[in-house]
Amino acid sequence: MNLKKYLTLTRAGMIEALQFRLSFVIIAVGNVLYLIVVYFLWKSIYASAGTDIVNGMTFSDTLIYLVLATALFNFMEMYTVWEIGRNIQSGKIVLDLLKPIEYRKYLFWSYSGSFVMQFFLTFLPTFLIVAAVTHGTIPLGINLLYFIVSVILAVSINYSIDYIVGTICLYTESIWGINIMKQVIVLLLSGATVPIAFFPEGLKQFVLHLPFQSIYNAPLTILLAKDPAPESVLRTLGTQLFWSLVMMIISKLFWKVSLRRITVNGG
Amino acid sequence: MSAIIEIKNVTKEFKVLNRREGLKGSLRDLFSRDYKTVRAVDNISMTIEQGEIVGYLGPNGAGKSTTIKMMTGVLEPTSGEILIGGVVPYQNRTKNAQEIGVVFGQRSQLWWALPLIESFRILKDIYQITDADYEGMLKLYRSLVDIEPLLHKPVRQMSLGQRTLSDILAAFLHNPKIVFLDEPTIGLDVSMKAKIRTLIHALNREKHTTVILTTHDMGDVDALCQRIVIIDKGKMLYDNDIEHLKGFFGAYRTLKIRVDGDLKAQAEEIGKALPDCAVSADEDWISVLVNEEKQKVMDVLAQLQKTHRIRDMQLEEISTEEVIKKIYEEGVQ
Repeated sequence: MNLKKYLTLTRAGMIEALQFRLSFVIIAVGNVLYLIVVYFLWKSIYASAGTDIVNGMTFSDTLIYLVLATALFNFMEMYTVWEIGRNIQSGKIVLDLLKPIEYRKYLFWSYSGSFVMQFFLTFLPTFLIVAAVTHGTIPLGINLLYFIVSVILAVSINYSIDYIVGTICLYTESIWGINIMKQVIVLLLSGATVPIAFFPEGLKQFVLHLPFQSIYNAPLTILLAKDPAPESVLRTLGTQLFWSLVMMIISKLFWKVSLRRITVNGG
Repeated sequence: MSAIIEIKNVTKEFKVLNRREGLKGSLRDLFSRDYKTVRAVDNISMTIEQGEIVGYLGPNGAGKSTTIKMMTGVLEPTSGEILIGGVVPYQNRTKNAQEIGVVFGQRSQLWWALPLIESFRILKDIYQITDADYEGMLKLYRSLVDIEPLLHKPVRQMSLGQRTLSDILAAFLHNPKIVFLDEPTIGLDVSMKAKIRTLIHALNREKHTTVILTTHDMGDVDALCQRIVIIDKGKMLYDNDIEHLKGFFGAYRTLKIRVDGDLKAQAEEIGKALPDCAVSADEDWISVLVNEEKQKVMDVLAQLQKTHRIRDMQLEEISTEEVIKKIYEEGVQ
C-alpha cells in the first residue's frame, strides 16, 4: 500500500521519459562520440607506453571498463542538483514540500522512472554489445548478481552525494558552478573517467578511502574481475554499504538542518 | 461549525542582508554580516471556520504569501501560534499536507509532459485516495465542468485557463479540509474567470471545503467571499463580513458627469468648488466621490448645474474595488 505511493512516481517518470524519444537518440550519439575520443586517447597512451599491459590492465580491459563506466553514468546520473536548484529558483519547491511525501524520497522516486528507462535503453544494450563483441572478456556468472547489488548501493551513494550538493543550492541559490564542480570531482575520484588503477600510488590509496570510488570503481571491478576471491567481493560490497549508510545519514541530516533554516528565514 | 484555522498573535520576521550599491558595495556585501530585520507579518490573529470562503486581501508585499506559507507549514512563525485542524503545520508538514490543497496562480503542481488524467492518478496514489473517493470526486468534477477534453491533454499543451482549472481540480482531489488559492484568476479572460469562480463556489458547497483566497481581482471577492481579511505592511486592517465593509464606506457614492470642454481643467475647478469631494477626470467623465454624511449627492448636482451645463450623468454606488482601494490608501479609521 505504502510502496504504491512511490511506484506511481516511477510509472509517471517512465511515461514522461518516453515522451521525449529524441533525447535517447541524442544521448546515444553523444556517447558514441565520447567513446571515439576515449578509444583514440587510450590507444595513443598504450602506444606511447610501449607495453601491452599498463598498470595491470590491457588496452581492451581499459576500453571495456570505460565503455561500461559511460553506460553506467548515463543511467546513474540523476541530475538531482539541477532539479533541486531549478525548483528552488522557480519556487516550485514549495509545492513539492506540500506533498505528503518526504522531499528526498519524492525526488528520488520521481526520477526513478527515467532511471528504469535508461537502464533498459542505454546500459543494457551497451553491456550486451560489449559482452558480445569481446566474447569472454566479461565473466558471466555469479558476478552479475553481485554487480546488481553493487549498482544499487552505488545508486544510493550517488543520490546522497547529489542530494547533499543540491542542498547547498538552498544557500547559494546558484546551480551551475556547484553542479559542474560536483560532476568533475565525482567522475574523477570515482574512476569513471580514468580507471583508479592508473592513479599514482599515493592518490590511489587516498581515493580508495573516499566514498566516490564506491560509485563507479566498485561495481565495475566486481563485474570485470576474473575469479575474484569471495572475501574481496564482500569487502567491496561492505565498503559500499558502509558509505551508502553514512552518506544517507549525512544527506538527511544536512537537509533537515537546512530546511529548518529555510522555514525560519524564508526562501 | 468548528474552527479549522486558528491563528494567534502571529509574527514573522526575516533577516535581510543590507545590500550596498555598486560593484564596490557588492564586493563588501560578500563579507557583510550587516543584517536588518524585516517584519513581514505583524501580530495577526484570526479564526476561520470549516466551510468558509475567506478573501485574504492586501496590496503587493503586504505579507499575504508569508501568512499562507506559515499556514501550509513551509515557514515557521517567529512568534505566535498557528493551528490547522488542531495541528501545528510546520512541525507536522507531511500530516498537514494531507489536509490542505494549494494552487499558486503562476505555478503548476501538475506533471508537465503528462495528460491530466495521469497527474490525477499520481495524486491519487500519493495522497492514498481510495478508489471510491477518487471515482466520486471525478464524477463530481464531470458534473461541474466539462473535463473530458482536458483529461487526455498533456498539461504543457493547455491554455493558461485550462491549466488553472486543472490545478484547482487537482488541489481538491484528495478532498482536503482547506484549499489555499493564491491568485487563481490571474491572467485569465472574463469567461474563464467566471467559470473558475463557479467551480470554486460549487466545490466549497459540495465538499464543505474551507477556501482561503488571495486575489487582486475584486470580482473574485464579490463572487465568492462572505468574509474578507485585509492586511497591509504585515498588520491586519480589517476582518469582517463583506456586507459590513460596504456599510462601512456605504456613505460614499460616485457622481459622474459629462460636460463640454476640457474635462481635466474643469475637474480641477470643480474640485476647488467642492472641498469635501474627491474629483477626478478620465476621457469621458468627471467623477465626483461624494460623502453623503457631509453633503447630499443631489445638493452637489444642484450646485454643479448652476456653474456647468451637464450633458449627461451617472450615479454609481461604491464598489468593493473602490472600498478596498480606499482602505489600502488610507487605512481604516
